[in-house]
Amino acid sequence: MKFTALGFNRLLRISAVFVILGLAVETGSLLWFHPLSFVTFALLGGLLILTGMAAYLFSVLLFAASPNQNTSSNR
Amino acid sequence: MGGGSPPQLEILSGEERNEKGDVVTGYAVILFILIGLTILLIAMFAFRPSVTSTLTGKILAFTALCILPSVCLAMGFQVHMDRSKQTQFCTSCHAMAPWGKSLDVDDPHHLAAAHYQNHSVPTDQACFTCHTTYTIFGDEAAKLKGLKHIYMQYIAGPPKVIHIFPPYNNRECLHCHSGMRVFEESAMHAGMMDQLKTNTLSCLTSGCHDVVHDTPDLAKEKLWRPGQP
Repeated sequence: MKFTALGFNRLLRISAVFVILGLAVETGSLLWFHPLSFVTFALLGGLLILTGMAAYLFSVLLFAASPNQNTSSNR
Repeated sequence: MGGGSPPQLEILSGEERNEKGDVVTGYAVILFILIGLTILLIAMFAFRPSVTSTLTGKILAFTALCILPSVCLAMGFQVHMDRSKQTQFCTSCHAMAPWGKSLDVDDPHHLAAAHYQNHSVPTDQACFTCHTTYTIFGDEAAKLKGLKHIYMQYIAGPPKVIHIFPPYNNRECLHCHSGMRVFEESAMHAGMMDQLKTNTLSCLTSGCHDVVHDTPDLAKEKLWRPGQP
């Protein structure tokens, strides 16, 4: 499957979901006073946020290279 | 210690220490607000991706999806680091409960208890103050060692006999005591100062300050509670 077929907007939404989930995990870990909260923050929250950021940067680079496909897929 | 009105002490007993976790600090509140704003901004782009068609929109999207989450991560890391220095955090593991309780022993010969009860160490960071390493990146190294504790607590299981990882270095004692008048001018210390500073004679295992936590005999010890004679 080509990523360009997904369209920039959908990739943006996917990365947004990852980052929001990561931030939600971070919030939960900050409210949880437990030795495992740091592990949750770093391994789960950090991973989700970094994945979302990477997905966004990837989509920006991908569609900068092929701007004509920028508006394919949904609005 | 008695006589007159008792001073306002912030010391908590073992049980209170475990119950009162400082979950939300002022710095954390700022972080929560930032996280909320970031989520709102990201949600806007998720619902209306067309906003990114303009240059301003692109810059805003980059800020919302890269810069702000990075700031949130960095601040979150700092909050977790600060929180993991708290006495309550260290004693929140069941295996560490006796060490937390040893801070309440009513005997000035117990080194940890004497430091804690007399505020010679910050009471909210009592464990960390003595168990960090006073070197460059010492705090981070101490916290990395903490991950090993988590592994032992939840995966490998705590050992039958808990002991400190490396031999205790005098450097950690001298970080505060070096230059302290009562320490430097003591005839006993002055005679062995070179050995103490080069760590060739241990403060703890040379027979001078060898009662530190003494958890095996904790049941026999009288415990001190703030405000009680």
